[in-house]
Amino acid sequence: MRTPLSRRGPVTLTRRGLITGVLGSALVAAGCGVEGARQDPQDCVTEDRSASEPTLAFSNWPQYLDVDEDDPTKRPTLDDFVARTGIRVTYTEDINDNNEFFGKVRQQLAACRGIDRDLIVLTDWLAARMIGFGWIQQLDPARLPNVRANLLPQLANRSFDPDGRIAVPWQSGLAGLAYNGRVTREVRTVDELLTRPDLKGRVTLLSEMRDTMGLLLQSAGHDPANFTDDQFDAALARLERAVAAGQIRRFTGNDYAPELARGDIAACLAWSGDAIQLAAGDERVRFVAPEEGVLLFSDNLLVPKTATHRANAERLIDHYYDPAVAARLAAYVNYICPVRGAREEMERIDPELAANPLIFPDDALLNRARVFMTLDEEQERRYETAFQRVIGA
Amino acid sequence: MTDRSAPSPASHRTPAARPAASVPGGGPGRRRVLPYLLVLPGVAWLVLFFGLPLVQLAAASLYDPTGSLSTGYVFAWAFGNYPDALATYWPHLARSFGYAGLALLLALALGCPLAYAIALRAGRWRNLLLVCVVAPMFTSFLVRTLAWKTILSDQGWLVGLLRDVHLLAPDGRLLATPFAVVLGLTYNFLPLLVLPLYASLERLDRRVLEAATDLYADPLRTFLTVTLPLAKPGLVAGVLLFFIPASGDYINAELLGSPNEYMVGNVIDSAFLVRLDHPQGAALSFLLMAAVLGLVVTLLRHTRGEGSPALDGGAR
Amino acid sequence: MPDDDPPGGDLHLVDLSKRFGRVTAVDSVSLTVPQGSYFALLGASGCGKTTTLRMVAGLERPTGGRVLLGDRDLTGLRPYRRPVNTVFQSYALFPHLDVFDNVAFGLRRRGVREVPEQVRRMLALVQLDGYERRRPGQLSGGQQQRVALARALVNRPRVLLLDEPLAALDLTLRRQMQGELKRLQTDLGTTFVHVTHDQEEAMTLADTVAVLHAGRVEQLGAPADLYDHPASAFVATFLGQCNLLAAEAAGTAGDEVAVTAYGLRLAVPADRARADRGAVHLGVRPEKLRLAGTADEVPAGHQQIPAVVTDVTYLGSGTRYLLRTGWGGELSAYTVNDGTGARLPVGAAVLAHWVPRHAFLLPRDPVERAAAPAGEPVGAPG
Repeated sequence: MRTPLSRRGPVTLTRRGLITGVLGSALVAAGCGVEGARQDPQDCVTEDRSASEPTLAFSNWPQYLDVDEDDPTKRPTLDDFVARTGIRVTYTEDINDNNEFFGKVRQQLAACRGIDRDLIVLTDWLAARMIGFGWIQQLDPARLPNVRANLLPQLANRSFDPDGRIAVPWQSGLAGLAYNGRVTREVRTVDELLTRPDLKGRVTLLSEMRDTMGLLLQSAGHDPANFTDDQFDAALARLERAVAAGQIRRFTGNDYAPELARGDIAACLAWSGDAIQLAAGDERVRFVAPEEGVLLFSDNLLVPKTATHRANAERLIDHYYDPAVAARLAAYVNYICPVRGAREEMERIDPELAANPLIFPDDALLNRARVFMTLDEEQERRYETAFQRVIGA
Repeated sequence: MTDRSAPSPASHRTPAARPAASVPGGGPGRRRVLPYLLVLPGVAWLVLFFGLPLVQLAAASLYDPTGSLSTGYVFAWAFGNYPDALATYWPHLARSFGYAGLALLLALALGCPLAYAIALRAGRWRNLLLVCVVAPMFTSFLVRTLAWKTILSDQGWLVGLLRDVHLLAPDGRLLATPFAVVLGLTYNFLPLLVLPLYASLERLDRRVLEAATDLYADPLRTFLTVTLPLAKPGLVAGVLLFFIPASGDYINAELLGSPNEYMVGNVIDSAFLVRLDHPQGAALSFLLMAAVLGLVVTLLRHTRGEGSPALDGGAR
Repeated sequence: MPDDDPPGGDLHLVDLSKRFGRVTAVDSVSLTVPQGSYFALLGASGCGKTTTLRMVAGLERPTGGRVLLGDRDLTGLRPYRRPVNTVFQSYALFPHLDVFDNVAFGLRRRGVREVPEQVRRMLALVQLDGYERRRPGQLSGGQQQRVALARALVNRPRVLLLDEPLAALDLTLRRQMQGELKRLQTDLGTTFVHVTHDQEEAMTLADTVAVLHAGRVEQLGAPADLYDHPASAFVATFLGQCNLLAAEAAGTAGDEVAVTAYGLRLAVPADRARADRGAVHLGVRPEKLRLAGTADEVPAGHQQIPAVVTDVTYLGSGTRYLLRTGWGGELSAYTVNDGTGARLPVGAAVLAHWVPRHAFLLPRDPVERAAAPAGEPVGAPG
């Protein structure tokens, strides 16, 4: 009779062989590397079925669309669109973070597979990256009369969309300063943020590289829409000194807001939309647009390459560029409204909001506002890596 | 009266005749295959959802680092990714293990008495206390960590109190310090240490503890010489369950720390999601995995044998 | 610590009580264990004997009373400060330590020198030399028992407490270990306090037995005294079998107590009576009852009761008879098969008779006993 050991012997060998084989072939398969994510427009053509299918799948960020005060299941401006056009809209609030969303869809889009969304809303830099990858459909200007007529001039001709026919701003915002007047005296410049001793350890900056570096560049007198490597490096070195000195407490996303409200943070780089909401809770929390300049960013409506209802999406985009609709939306979301003429409409809805420069900025403010320059992939990696090193990751 | 008959001739100490080894029906072939068929679903699961991604990650760690997402990555046996990642981010790795180690010590100091008290002293309160240990796990990890942010807030009562008693400088703070990160790690992973420890303490034969007390061991000695060695399997499991996720964690450093407290998890997160440097992210992941694996193997080597009579039994 | 103490002296329990909630486990127990004696605490399960032992060990805190060793009050001392050691019921050996380290445990905790020598000597004493490196899990029950003994005895305790030490062993091994325990106790001269529910074990081993019942000491004395002159019906029936007749005593006259039972007039020597008036039990052990066919065969001075044989059981060394009395009661008798008398058949009319000194009188609770069928043999058979 064979011993248990000898009985197990050959099986073990087989099993080990099997595993080695699987691992080996998997490594070889994976060993081919990864194909580039960039799509040739010719390779991925999607048929538009809007004529036969009156539907639209629209993915947006949470709390970025007006809700009926009496009935939270109703979305008045969207319901109007559905009533007017007969297009059934599936509205999903499933975009919480640009990076996260990118990770979620990148493999499908790189392979020219559908992502079950016809319209998405992404911030400038990610919109630029995805446009660069060839993942976004061109829109037909002829079908967007309201957009052509009403888009704020500062938002036309952006570097990633020079012809203005691929990314349409949904809402815009400013990156500037904010401080809590209960725990510190007024803060007016980025320079104060980086150097004032009484703010040491009570300052946060934004982990979004474009916002933080854009404001630092402006503070140094440079143009974030057009700067050199040396200028960037000098600004980053200044940031690094402030971090090393313990002046900077953290780099944050939206999560600076509760800390600023509590007073754990005395001053920070902040987004205008958050600042309006914070000021509504405590008027001593103030947003400051520094004299040296602010950064203008937008969240853009985009039609993914594999979306099958582009024409329906275009109708929705144009709907929101009707000043009356835009004013109703702006009254709810408190970001900068990219639609000209909405301010006049707003005066009828809520004159106080119409006067708010963080929703309808005056020309003086808009003239200080810059959009961060579009980076090619090489620059993006270089700047992002350098920046991430400084912010600790 | 008692039956005083002589002991029966059939001595009870004679070992029962060992039954001859027999092969149950079914034939040897079927018997050999069946166990492997039974593990097949598990193995398939592992291969599919653990093995293949791991291989993919291993491959990604060897991509040519000059590639990018848009141009693609080329597999190039680029072992240089490892020393490069290590050279740049060794402080983060060291910090990960340092913080996780400190948190482990804290958790042991808190968790050993806690598990001991629940298992052996709590009486009818035991279930309630167990629920208290586990209850925080019912809320999201993120929410729990954010709650600490409120507790440790500069404007909070705790910091105020510490400042008043001069344990903290007037402008001192707890948030965004290594202390807060270690505290967060300790708190978040404590149940993972306590539960297995509790389970093995609870199974402990109390008479053995009484025997130790009877043999001149005071409570501390009893704990060190009897309770702890007998609870060792649970302790080892708890230490591993605590240390492995704690060393790979990035939420606590992100929310309770500052850039100066970032751990290797934060770097991996940023490499994959922000910087899109997949080769480096993969290389760092493997470095972390290898380091943790090394620690685990060392720990298991070190602790085996003492608790298992099979290994060193028999006459010497 | 034992080594620093003068020789321990007698162990005194003074009014020792233990209540668990509303249950009284030990009820004001007072007794003295002479130094160097083998003392047994005997009782049915739940009688409080183990709780008493644990209070001596310090594992249970008394609700009242004191534990003294010589002049020293142990009552408030933690177990690890008492010069006593325990052999636990299921041995409670340390599973993670080998035999040597188990035995050395107490010595090391006390910082004793020459640990290996002492351990080896003790292992030799319990015949376990060569087993030093075995783990408890690799030993038989009897071997574990010896390790438990060695582990306790190596500390040279003033008092060794044994909690049902043989209960887990089979009969043969138990007999053998009983012999070893007795030998060890004699050799070492240590005071042993042995808790058991097995009356035979207690009587075999102990110099003095205390019978516990419902948390109280029913009787304390040498095994022969307990058996021959029990203090209560409980003791009489717990230690062996006993015929108890419900009777009425009419007081002492001379050196005898006159008793009436079921119309029969009987007498018991006054020094054998624990009660001489009112409701009593008249007790006679089955082996003290002899059977005679006719009145002529009954020796002069013997007490007698007429009866009929209803059952005969041949046991080899002796024969057990069940008898029915005229009033319907039952008696049990046991005769030794020494080859002298012939066996009596079922249905034979006999006279059960006994030497007056072999009977004893016990107080009887008239209410309690009224319900029980009169004159039945009660007690543990065998």
